[in-house]
Amino acid sequence: MMHRRLMYGTVAALVLLYPVLLSSAPVYQRLGTLVLLAAIGASAWNLVGGYAGQVSVGHAVFFGTGAYAAIAVYTQFGLPPIVGVPVGALIAVVIAALIGVPTLRLSGHYFSMATIAVAELVRVLISNWEWVGGAQGLSGPAVSRTVLDLSFTSALPYYYIFLAVLAAVLLVTWRIERSRMGFYLRAIKDSERAARSLGVAAGRYKLYAYMLSAGFTAVGGSLYAVMFGFVDPESGFGILISVKMLIMAALGGSGLLFGPLIGALILVPLEEISNSLLGGKGAGLTFVVYGAIIVLIARFLPSGILALLPARRPPPKPKPLAAERAHAA
Amino acid sequence: MWSRKFSLTALCTALLALAYAGAAAAQQTVKVGAIYPLSGNAASAGNYSKAAIELAVDIINNDHPELKDLPLAAGTGLPRLGGAKIEVVFADNQGTPAAGQNQALRLITEEKVQALIGAYQSGITVTTSAMAERHGIPFVNPESVAANLTERGFKWFFRVTPVAGDFARAYADFLKEQKAAGQKVGSIAIVNENTEYGNSVASVIREMFGKEGLPVVQVIPYSANTTDVQPQVLQLKEKNPDVVIFVSYTSDAILYAKTMKDLNWKPSIMIADDAGFNDPSFVSSSGSLVEGLVNRSSFAPGKPGSLSALINDLYKKKNNVDLDDASARAMQGMLVLADAINRAGSTDAAKIQAALRATDLKANQVVTGYNGVKFDDKGQNILASSLITQMQGGSYVPVWPKDKAAGELKLPYKGW
Amino acid sequence: MSLIVVQVIVSGLLIGAVYALFASGLTLIWGMMNVINFAHGDFVMLAMYTAFMVWTVLGGGPAAAVPIAAVLLATLGVLSYFLLVRHIMKGPMLAQILGTFGLALLLRYSAFWYFGANFKTLPDTILGAPLVIGGIRIDAPRLVAGSVGLLVTLLLHLLLTRSALGSRMLAVAEDATAAQLMGIRPERMQAVAWALAAGSTGIAGALIATFFYTSPTVGETLAIVAFVTVAFGGFGSVPGALVAGLLIGVIEGLSAFFIGPVYKDVVVYLLFVLVLWTRPQGLMGKA
Repeated sequence: MMHRRLMYGTVAALVLLYPVLLSSAPVYQRLGTLVLLAAIGASAWNLVGGYAGQVSVGHAVFFGTGAYAAIAVYTQFGLPPIVGVPVGALIAVVIAALIGVPTLRLSGHYFSMATIAVAELVRVLISNWEWVGGAQGLSGPAVSRTVLDLSFTSALPYYYIFLAVLAAVLLVTWRIERSRMGFYLRAIKDSERAARSLGVAAGRYKLYAYMLSAGFTAVGGSLYAVMFGFVDPESGFGILISVKMLIMAALGGSGLLFGPLIGALILVPLEEISNSLLGGKGAGLTFVVYGAIIVLIARFLPSGILALLPARRPPPKPKPLAAERAHAA
Repeated sequence: MWSRKFSLTALCTALLALAYAGAAAAQQTVKVGAIYPLSGNAASAGNYSKAAIELAVDIINNDHPELKDLPLAAGTGLPRLGGAKIEVVFADNQGTPAAGQNQALRLITEEKVQALIGAYQSGITVTTSAMAERHGIPFVNPESVAANLTERGFKWFFRVTPVAGDFARAYADFLKEQKAAGQKVGSIAIVNENTEYGNSVASVIREMFGKEGLPVVQVIPYSANTTDVQPQVLQLKEKNPDVVIFVSYTSDAILYAKTMKDLNWKPSIMIADDAGFNDPSFVSSSGSLVEGLVNRSSFAPGKPGSLSALINDLYKKKNNVDLDDASARAMQGMLVLADAINRAGSTDAAKIQAALRATDLKANQVVTGYNGVKFDDKGQNILASSLITQMQGGSYVPVWPKDKAAGELKLPYKGW
Repeated sequence: MSLIVVQVIVSGLLIGAVYALFASGLTLIWGMMNVINFAHGDFVMLAMYTAFMVWTVLGGGPAAAVPIAAVLLATLGVLSYFLLVRHIMKGPMLAQILGTFGLALLLRYSAFWYFGANFKTLPDTILGAPLVIGGIRIDAPRLVAGSVGLLVTLLLHLLLTRSALGSRMLAVAEDATAAQLMGIRPERMQAVAWALAAGSTGIAGALIATFFYTSPTVGETLAIVAFVTVAFGGFGSVPGALVAGLLIGVIEGLSAFFIGPVYKDVVVYLLFVLVLWTRPQGLMGKA
């Protein structure tokens, strides 16, 4: 027991102190920040893709919404990009409701293909919409006007902001896991037909998960835009963004709380370091390595890495509703 | 006795130390970071730019007396830094603004480069140069054309290339001259790919032509990397404009060349705005289909024995293709940076920045067809300019302005 | 004016037949094994490079390149099945996406590393001059590709529905366990399906190479079209892929011509999404 506490404590301390410990190595400090940013997106995806089992390959549509919202409030209204965070999240949730209703009726591959198509559709439309910069994209404040612009040189402030947001996403996920909604989502993921026959309002809960997931993904997108200061249709809505979110969650273990974070911890440094070591030689070997590793994981660890660990106690079943109790009686 | 031995050893040690220090100073290398697309869609262009920059470094580091007038060609290394050599560290921007910025940070803090050069795609240059600006590292941009890059109030950003406005002006002047000479210039169409490059150039051309009274009757934006361009060519065939200006990347350029032949349609004057049509892959695969294509380029080999021709020979020997526009501009950017570092006489960032600001290269001192290199207070090279070239017999020949021409302009467009 | 419209339609049909060709392999795998093959476009890319190599090394044209590419790609398909797909099929759909996407990256960037980033094309005279029928120009490479596309698709369909092998494959697709009880070996049939599907990408790629450019990333562009064609036509339906391919080719062409080339993608995706929302099994798939 003490052992466990000590271990968790050390890990927590390391996580909190990471950027300070690495302040003399800005690249690695930034790496930690990038891991957190990726984990936010992947964890957001996990809500609908992992827990509810609805594999969306078009989450870039929410990411891009958040990213564009952040930069657009700056270019159009002169406001600090951070103001775009709630705006982007709200728009993303509305979009999720609009496309979720018809799309979530589809199952399996059809759902995935529909999400890809919608994301690509939005990307092409944005490329032709002058108000958001069309194909040229939008640039945020290059140098901070006030501290609210969040244009820092060091990665340290970003690290803590992202850590806080990730913690919020994981907290919400954890609460849902233990709630009635989580219970229903697991049932839907297992077998939607069975769940429906038992009275679970599958359509409604899938939609809630989708909308929640969309909102958090948009926040991730806004934070990306704040840090990098630029977004265009490809970097906001490109299919690679959707795929990366999904791959991280799958790699670490989808449907598990820390799965996406583990996936991000492996893939983000892998990509950065192999690009730094191999990229300059111009042979794209970074992606060969990336691809090979993904194939190996899929082949040998299909349920993700976290699934290798011994299964912990399953989350407690929530207390039945009064109506259900009466029914059972 | 003991003290004599001691002082003798001390003297020897001191001499050795001095020798080492002297040698170290003489052998000092100056590290420069170069961020280019070495993978992804623009990898073809990125790799040619890399080769061109490597050639520039070779010219600077080794003795090339035959390249008269080119600063730093004679002698080895940078004379004002004791013959120090330039070492370029390349990084792949992977075609994403995020990777570009991450690599910039790595080059600055881990590789400890004194300056950066890059990054080809305008969107990537935005984020990459922002990182350099925050760290106070000079950033030389040889080839990105988005207008906003020099509008950010940056102090460490220096753009060597002409921008869309310059090209549009060159086209306008060229077409007005042709009109006066009796060529058909009554209707103009613009076909542009729909990403930041194509859109920005197309809109600037339209604006300029509007001001100059050149009638644009048709504008056809299309999605880059498309599978088929027959509809676009058919739209052109239907309207039949006299002049068509293409703003496309390589893959689309190849498709257009083939499709126009397949559908048997050609305008009187066909103009291509650089990019895809200047890519060596296009020239080697489709050059025979576009005889007489008018192009703009900042570089053309020119008359044999001229500086540009000699450079082209050196490049061709190593890479089996002619030096193309974008790569030549990358090379020029590297030469400008090296010249500035040399004049700064130190690797101190602020001194290099000041030296860049004071750059004043004349037309005969540059490899590209610029009128020279001189930066305004926004960091833009105000002497940047373009040549109009024409595809003749499988390679591009400069035909305009007359004082830089190496061949005669032949109209109307012949095609295949 | 109407002649040009006819030309647009004819061009659309020709390119549509090619879309159908490389979509038919994808729909076969999809229908038989419920696997989304993200690497499909890159299989076609490898076939295009094969055709290029046959031209530069052996001096041979499509007549040589097509069978060589078909055999090579079929082998790659079987290898992919036994080494990777067979295992990921047992896992969640997520793992399947991971697996084939990783395979796509691997193939794409290995090609990049080996062949370099530059675009390569075959000489455009490799199959002769265009035909002109009543003012409509039909260029030979597209005509050949389109006709072969139709032929191969039909043959594939006949194979599936009229031959013993085909019925065994369909049995496995419908219920692998029941088929096993009848003495059919599911893994063998699935391997055959992969061989056929990959082989048809080999044929498609070798033919497309005669009029399209070859580069390591061309697979990405082609894959999207393939997915849309398959979903439109119905997962698992080879004739559906044919009809969908032709339709998409024509719709693309007409919308590009009348509305504007940028919007041709929008129209196709929109149509695709509408079909999914209203008739998810596509035009000819099973419900």
